[in-house]
Amino acid sequence: MSLSGLDLMAAAAAASAVWMCGVSGVQTQLRGLVLQTAAIAIVCMILGAREHEGHYYGLALVVFAVKGAAIPVFLSWAARRLGVRKDSGAYFGPAIGLLAGCAALVAGLFIGRDLAVPMGTSAGAAGMSMALVFIGMLLMTTRRLAISQLIALLTLENGILLFGLTQTKGMPLMVEMGAVFEILVGVLIGGLVIFRLNRSFEHIDVTNLRELRR
Amino acid sequence: MTIFELALFHAINLLAIPLMLAGVVRKVKARMQMRIGAPVLQAFHDLAKLLRKTETISENASWVFIWAPRVGFAVAVILTVLVPWAGSLLPAAWAPASNFVFVLYLLALSRFLSLLAALDTGSAFGGLGASREAMISVLVEPTLLIGLAALAVHTGSADLQTMFGLITSPMVAILVGVALLLASLAELSRMPIDDPTTHLELTMVHEAMILENSGPNLFLIEYGTALRMCVFLGLSCQAFLSAVPGFRETPLAVQYATGVLSLFALGIAMAVAEGIGVKLKWRSVPNFLAFAAASSFLAALIAAAER
Repeated sequence: MSLSGLDLMAAAAAASAVWMCGVSGVQTQLRGLVLQTAAIAIVCMILGAREHEGHYYGLALVVFAVKGAAIPVFLSWAARRLGVRKDSGAYFGPAIGLLAGCAALVAGLFIGRDLAVPMGTSAGAAGMSMALVFIGMLLMTTRRLAISQLIALLTLENGILLFGLTQTKGMPLMVEMGAVFEILVGVLIGGLVIFRLNRSFEHIDVTNLRELRR
Repeated sequence: MTIFELALFHAINLLAIPLMLAGVVRKVKARMQMRIGAPVLQAFHDLAKLLRKTETISENASWVFIWAPRVGFAVAVILTVLVPWAGSLLPAAWAPASNFVFVLYLLALSRFLSLLAALDTGSAFGGLGASREAMISVLVEPTLLIGLAALAVHTGSADLQTMFGLITSPMVAILVGVALLLASLAELSRMPIDDPTTHLELTMVHEAMILENSGPNLFLIEYGTALRMCVFLGLSCQAFLSAVPGFRETPLAVQYATGVLSLFALGIAMAVAEGIGVKLKWRSVPNFLAFAAASSFLAALIAAAER
C-alpha cells in the first residue's frame, strides 16, 4: 500500500491533531487547528482536481476562510481577552495526552481499514478522519478550559467533514456551506457563553463547575 | 574500497571529526554570547592536557570508578565504528554487527557504567546526577528503539549499515530523523534538557556525574562524549539525508562528504539554538520527550501501513 497525496494530507491533518494533544498553550492549539484545517482544505482541492468539479474548490475556500481564519482569530482574541494562556489538562498532562492521541490515531487507522471506500478515495484517508473524530472526543473530555473544548469540537467537526469527503461523491455545495456556517454560529455562541462563564465565576475551568449556582 | 581507504576513513571519523565538532559547537556558542571564544582546535589541546595530568582518586572509590570510563570509552569507539553516522563505511560482510538492537544495548551498557561510576565515589552530586540521567534514559530509550525499529520494518533490514541505504519513504525518514534529533539532545545532555556548561547543582545532569573524575580518567569520558555526539547527531543527519530523493545513488565519497558537512551544520544549528533558547524546567522534560516518542511512534505506524 502506497500513500497518495490525498492520504498524505489527511495524515498531516491527523498528525497536527496529535500535536494539539501534546501542547498546553491555547494559542499554540489554535495554530494546530489552522494547520489541520489547511490540510483538509487541500484534501478538498485534490478531490476537486481529481473529479473536475468546481464546487470542491468553493468548499475548500469557505472551509479555510471560516475554520482556518475567522474562528481561530475570534478564539485567539477571546483567549487574550479572558487572559487564559495555558490549559494543563484535567486528568493527565500533555505528555500522556500526546501518547493517547497516538493511540487514537492507531485506532482510527485500524477502523479505516474495514471501511468501505467508494470512488477511489482511499481507506487511509477515511481512517485518518476517524482518528480526527477520536482525537476531538479525547481533547473534549480531557481539557480543562472551556475554550479548549471549543477547539476540540472544531477538531471533531473537521474529522466529520473529512469523513464526508472520503465517503460521498461531493455533497451539494449548499449543504456543506450550511454545515460550515452552523459551526461558525455555534462557536460564536460558545464564545459568548465562555464570556458569561468568566463573568459569573471569574474563571473558565470546567473541572470546577461541579454544582449549579443557586 | 580497499582496506587502506577504510582505515583512513575510520581514522578521520575517530580522531578528527568528533573533536572538531566539539570545538566548532563551543566556538559558535561563544560567538552567540558575544565572546571571541577558544580556538576551534582547543578541544585537542584540552584533551592532551588532561592526558598529561596526574589523576586524583577519592579514597572511597573502588575499581568500578577506574574501570567504568575505560570500558565506556571502548564502547564509544565500537559505536563510532559500527554506526553509519557518516555513511556506510564497513564491508558488507560486517553489516550484521551493526544490528540496531545490539547498538542500543551497547548504548545502555555505556550508560549503565557511567551511572555506576558516578555512584561509586559516594559523593552527593554523583548520586544526584545519576538519578537524573537514569530518568532521562528511561524516557529516551523507547524513542530510539521504536524509531530504529520503524526503519527496520520499513526497509526489511535490521542492520544500521544497510538500513539507511534502503529508505524509500521521505515521511518515515523525516519523522525518524526528528525523533532521533530530539532524543539525542536529551541523550547528549544538550540544551533544552541540560546545560553542558553549567556547574549549578540544581540543574546539572551530566556534569554532576563526572565531577570526581580528573586526569586521564576525565580524558576518556570527555573523548567518549565527543564520539557519542557524532554518533547521535550523525545518525539523525543520515535519516534526514535519506529523505532527499536520489541521495543514496550518489558515489560513496559524495555521501560521506555531505554527511559530514550536514553533521557540522546540525552542530552549528544546535549551538545557535542553545544561544537563543532557555533550559526546560526539569518537570517538563517528559513533555518534551513525549514529542520525540510520538514522532517515532508515527514513523512506525506509517512504516507498518506502507508495507
